[in-house]
Amino acid sequence: MTRTERAAATATWIIAGLAVVFLVTPLVVTLAVSFGSTAVFTLPPPEWSLRWYAKLSRTSGLLPSVLTSLQIAALSTAIALVLGALCAIALVRGRFAGREAIATFLVSPLMLPGLVIGIAMLQAFREMGLRGAWLSLLVAHVVIALPYVVRTVVGALQLFDFALIDAARTLGCSYLDAVRKVMVPALAPAFLTSGMFAFLASMDNYPISIFFTDAWTKTLPIQMLQYVEESPDPTIAAISSGLILLAVIALLIGDRLVGLKRLADF
Amino acid sequence: MSAVPARRAPFDRVSLLALPALGYLTLVYALPIIWLLLRSVTGPHGFTLQPLASFLSDPFNWRVIGNTLKIAGLVTLVCLVIGYPTAFALAWSRGWAQVVLLSAIILPLSVGVVVKAFAWQIVLRRDGVVSSALTTLGLAEEPVRLLFTETGLVLGAANVFLPFMILPIYSVVKLIDARLLEAGATLGAGPLYRFHRITLPLTMPGVVTGIAFVFSLSVSMFVIPSLLIGDRYQTLATLTGRSFLLMRNEQLGSTTATVLLVLAVSVVVAAALVARRVGRSG
Amino acid sequence: MDAFLEIAGAERSFGPARVLGGVDLAVASGEFVSLLGPSGCGKTTLLRIVAGLLAPDAGTVRLDGVDITGKPPHHRDVGVVFQSYALFPHLTVAENVAFGLEARRAPRAEIRAAVSRFLELVHMSELADRSVRALSGGQQQRVAVARALAVRPKLLLLDEPFSALDRKLRETMQIELKRLLRELSITAVFVTHDQDEALMMSDRIAVMNRGAIEQLADPLTVYHRPASAFVLGFVGLSSRIHGVAGAPSDDGFVTVATALGPVRARGTAAPGAAVFVAIRPERMFLSAPGGGAESIAATLRDVVFQGSKVQLHFAGTGADQIVVETAQLPPSGFEIGQPVRISFAAEDALVFPAEVAR
Repeated sequence: MTRTERAAATATWIIAGLAVVFLVTPLVVTLAVSFGSTAVFTLPPPEWSLRWYAKLSRTSGLLPSVLTSLQIAALSTAIALVLGALCAIALVRGRFAGREAIATFLVSPLMLPGLVIGIAMLQAFREMGLRGAWLSLLVAHVVIALPYVVRTVVGALQLFDFALIDAARTLGCSYLDAVRKVMVPALAPAFLTSGMFAFLASMDNYPISIFFTDAWTKTLPIQMLQYVEESPDPTIAAISSGLILLAVIALLIGDRLVGLKRLADF
Repeated sequence: MSAVPARRAPFDRVSLLALPALGYLTLVYALPIIWLLLRSVTGPHGFTLQPLASFLSDPFNWRVIGNTLKIAGLVTLVCLVIGYPTAFALAWSRGWAQVVLLSAIILPLSVGVVVKAFAWQIVLRRDGVVSSALTTLGLAEEPVRLLFTETGLVLGAANVFLPFMILPIYSVVKLIDARLLEAGATLGAGPLYRFHRITLPLTMPGVVTGIAFVFSLSVSMFVIPSLLIGDRYQTLATLTGRSFLLMRNEQLGSTTATVLLVLAVSVVVAAALVARRVGRSG
Repeated sequence: MDAFLEIAGAERSFGPARVLGGVDLAVASGEFVSLLGPSGCGKTTLLRIVAGLLAPDAGTVRLDGVDITGKPPHHRDVGVVFQSYALFPHLTVAENVAFGLEARRAPRAEIRAAVSRFLELVHMSELADRSVRALSGGQQQRVAVARALAVRPKLLLLDEPFSALDRKLRETMQIELKRLLRELSITAVFVTHDQDEALMMSDRIAVMNRGAIEQLADPLTVYHRPASAFVLGFVGLSSRIHGVAGAPSDDGFVTVATALGPVRARGTAAPGAAVFVAIRPERMFLSAPGGGAESIAATLRDVVFQGSKVQLHFAGTGADQIVVETAQLPPSGFEIGQPVRISFAAEDALVFPAEVAR
């Protein structure tokens, strides 16, 4: 390598190192604060303690919102997986005009402002007679989950060699058997990782969900923001740490299934 | 030549599998948005641009739009400057360095915006980490308050959106054939020339995607400015949110939502057009 | 010979694997030398060392009197045509060809003239503004050659440039390339695993095996006087008859006792050593019983028709293989199982040590 190349490479690695620190900072800070003993957010904490985690069980409204979020996330992801998988098959194997436009349409909820989508849905659902908060949340969250599923499954299907199904059939399988034995295992990782990301996106969502709350129905992010505005103390950091743990588990599962590198496919 | 022309359906049976998802999205997502747009230009007497006109004639609103664009532009710039080299480092990395980089990029994505925004609130405080770091390094004479400032907002937003700049660029850098750079070298091109005439053009599609993502996400962000910059500084998104949720002014909220939507869609469409032109070879 | 390109003692290992062990090669100005060998023999590694894309562990490379061993590729004035062509996908054909000259900041007019000249030479002028992504394999190949030549490098290296082309196209390109290089008086080193290609194109061939050059000679010598059993086996077909060497005579011949009778052949061997006699199939002839020169009898086992010639395979004992190539079918045809008398000249037979079974 010439001197120029070496200098450029060094600068690149330094910036990447800084980027890593930058990206990890909020997570580290959250964890550190959650284990601190004081109610003030000083870092590093003067003493370590688990009091904020203990307080979690006494925090009103927390458990219901966690349950609501989990229910909505699980159901919306499941529905999105079914709708999305069918749609992905059609996109990859079907022949019809405007496939690219339709694919863009399916992914568009990711690109548009969540707030606008939320407002539009709120007004439209009211007109359509859909008033229940919980049901509205579910309907909205399927829209959030669908792009993740479609994008990932389409990608996996495009990589799948359909000649394998033909090969299985020449070896004696029926069509359904061949699909089950050959295609499902090959696509299972894509389903699982897209399901995971859709689940997390649903758990995290604020701008759409904020329009569909009532006294009994709040998702976790909305509840957390309420805490921040009303009574900020490190309990929120404890909740956040729980979410970080969830994300780490998801990452480990994802790595075991498809490898970190594939998770990074955009 | 057969005498009977084959009859080809415009679509085959497999395509029908797309209908449930498409139908669902159209009903629950596309129609509501179209309806929102229509209603923002419909008054009691039919088509009217009056609400939009009065919105755009208020200089306060122009400041809001200006804020929105300025912040989005700065966030995109910061993400580009940090993200472009990092994407290369990611593509070059092997072994544990790769694991570290990938984890640092993907993990925050999975954690969620509220967690991160709240964490940045802590970090940016007068007595927070950034402030202490700056004073320790001698870059500031006294503790710096970054919370409730544009700088703090840009930092926090850049932190949240950085992965969306890195990953598209990375996916393109990965695809660059090393032989191309070797060919350039054997033709007499030095390292800087090779970067400028081979690497840079080939990474452009990824850069455009990254810019589109980060800019539109920054234009639309709501939670981050709410927590990091407060009520005195308004962006289109926070104004929209406040109109609906606090002020209960649905008329204003719908108008601002429309402006926000048009802005976001323009960004996406512009990016797609640029990407197509850049992707086409010269 | 005043060497234009001189490689001395080139060594290279990748981890525990020694890919090149002390290789020397001298190429004269305007010469076309092929590096011929199986995959893994080190030919591409050697090429990349000459190009500057890989640093040798030891050894030097001198070009036109200058030591270029430590120089990066963009300072070497060595052109490369890659196996995968490595055309810049975001540039047109003309822009690809112009790349090297633009990198050297040549004046615009000179670039334009060079581009049109070299596109002309490879017959790609009409496609000058086409995107390289739309080109066929053969077309891409030509652009790659034009691009490398446009900067008038001192040396042109080619790494199996025709391997992806079908046979007819490959033959056309081989002839065209030779003509082009001759016209421009460019020195070239050509890597290939295809012995027909090497025989056809080269002034000299370096046959490589396991990181060393086993023979460096003109095609005729390599074919008719292979220096080792490996070269013999890699270049062309041969019959092999195993036996035990007798006492050598002083005219450079030795008589070998084989299962098919005594055979006289060129070469030396220790008396009593296990050897085999090799003869090229086209130098063996079918003769009526009692024919002259060296003569053996064998039973016909297989007839392989190849268009312009016929290959006859005969049954041999053990590791023996007997192949005769003839352009003419005898009027009576051939019968499998038929005993046939085969004759050849001792001049054309070579003795090699028998390979030890692993």
